[in-house]
Amino acid sequence: MTSIADGGRAAGRAETMGVWFVVKKTLRKPQFWFGFTMIFPLLIWYWIFSFGPIIQAFRMSTVAYKLLDPGNSPFVGLGNFIKIAQHPLFWVSVKNTILWAVYSFIFHLPLAMLIAVCLSKVKRGRNVYQALIFVPVVVSLVAVSLLFKMLMDPEVGQLNKLLSSIGLPELQWLSSTSSALPTAVVIATWKGLGFFVVILTAGMLNIPSELYDAGLVDGTNPWQQFWLITMPLMSHTILLVTVLLAIGSLQEFTLPTVLFGSEGGPGNSTFLYNLLVYQEAFLDIRFGTATAASLFQFAFILTISILQIKLLRPSWTY
Amino acid sequence: MAVIGKTGPARRQPPRRIEISQSIIQIFLLGMVVVAIFPFIWMIFASLKPFKELVESRQLLPETWTLRNYDEILGRVNFYAAFRNSIVSAVSVTVVSVYTSSVMGYIFSKYRFAGKEVLFTIVLSTMMVPFAVIMVPLYITIANSFGLADNLGGIIVTGFYTAFGIFLMRQFMESIPFELIDAARIDGASEWRIFFTLVLPMSMSPMSALAVFVFLVNWDSFLWPLIVLSSQDKQTLPLVLAGLRNLWWTRYEMWAAGSMLTVAPVMLIYSIASRYFIRGIAMTGLKA
Repeated sequence: MTSIADGGRAAGRAETMGVWFVVKKTLRKPQFWFGFTMIFPLLIWYWIFSFGPIIQAFRMSTVAYKLLDPGNSPFVGLGNFIKIAQHPLFWVSVKNTILWAVYSFIFHLPLAMLIAVCLSKVKRGRNVYQALIFVPVVVSLVAVSLLFKMLMDPEVGQLNKLLSSIGLPELQWLSSTSSALPTAVVIATWKGLGFFVVILTAGMLNIPSELYDAGLVDGTNPWQQFWLITMPLMSHTILLVTVLLAIGSLQEFTLPTVLFGSEGGPGNSTFLYNLLVYQEAFLDIRFGTATAASLFQFAFILTISILQIKLLRPSWTY
Repeated sequence: MAVIGKTGPARRQPPRRIEISQSIIQIFLLGMVVVAIFPFIWMIFASLKPFKELVESRQLLPETWTLRNYDEILGRVNFYAAFRNSIVSAVSVTVVSVYTSSVMGYIFSKYRFAGKEVLFTIVLSTMMVPFAVIMVPLYITIANSFGLADNLGGIIVTGFYTAFGIFLMRQFMESIPFELIDAARIDGASEWRIFFTLVLPMSMSPMSALAVFVFLVNWDSFLWPLIVLSSQDKQTLPLVLAGLRNLWWTRYEMWAAGSMLTVAPVMLIYSIASRYFIRGIAMTGLKA
């Protein structure tokens, strides 16, 4: 009752109180209340658990954080950034992380593309193959790490037994400085490949088969089909895969940690950047330098992603 | 042109060449399947071998079958608690975040309000920030403001919203016509009713895809639980499993048994619902 009367009065004064009228009209809409009750918690949550911590991170990186009295942490400007860059393992971890990412690309992309092409071409049993190749993705990464550490044990591991039984020299796998990192990336590839295979296969099956038929009429061979039809039409999916691969491999943490503990492998050879951040933050309890280190990582990943999108995004769509 | 559809038998290639290339493809894929599956099969049998045999034998099958590894590991490590913790955190994060993603996807797609696009862009841009940047301030928030250090709640509450899920659901909601929602409004349905009885049932397919994705990520989550959870009985499966390395330095048969206990439940679900898993990942790839 009152609301109708209010509405009438508000409408009468619409010229003088235009804003108030609009507000009242909005408040009475059912859409408003539904939207409000849904958006309000989102704003609160994002403020506390996402934007807030991000802003906090920028602030924290410029102070020498005092654990017991955070309010009085002295301002040190860029001191934390300089300090982390002088950390004895900083450049080691940067080098290792970039190597990890490069190996990830080399191991993942060609193999995933090859499997995806085969899956999109195979006539029988596609779903079964796909389901089985996807199995390692579902399995806990920690279990995978333990599994391969057992298989790759240089003395009692099954892989070396296999190599020696077919007359090949035994390998050091995860136990030597030179082979630990590539071997660990092989494990990461074994675990992650199915994910990219499924994305790429879905992209390939999405290409209309008329295009291949037209290609056949023009007399293309399978090689030309791949480079002239599949690759150009897959460019969006491939861009997605490369960006995901870069973001994922530059933030790797679990695999080296479970394989070697937080020291990162023989002679620090798998000490990745995220292990450095973790060590600074939660083992040495230096929150300021740790967030400074993570902001370096943020800048680096952002740059790489933008570069990839700029370089690889096709200028046309289909 | 239309006659030569996807199902049409009209690929004009010499039939023999097709057969040869098909069998090469089949052999290659079979090889990949063996590479993907064999380590597990080895692990199943390894968990049933005594230590001495596991280290010395080259045989896949155990000579002495034994369940003592499982006995010992369940006696020393509280796998039941870890399993319960993992289920509780992964399932609640999945349920809540799939629900919030659908609601917000719907609102971002079908509602008009000031600042909508700005808000959406800001929400999406949080995806670009590496987790390492927020882990310290987030831990301080969880521990000091909420008192949730060493508490499963700290894992659950940080997973209530996912920018990726909101994005995915918005992409899907764009395909629901405005006319349908307006028609329901004219029929006098409330906004709640429209969302829960009209929009949600239509979105089951992307929701199940998202649910699978979120569940997998959270079931396997390692770094954040490692930071938040410290006491043994609060830890999730990946943490407990990683702890086996320190508990039994090179007792590989224990590692194998522990891994089996962690892997088996997921594999069981996967063997029943593998098609949803794969469709989920494929759909996220195509929509993103």
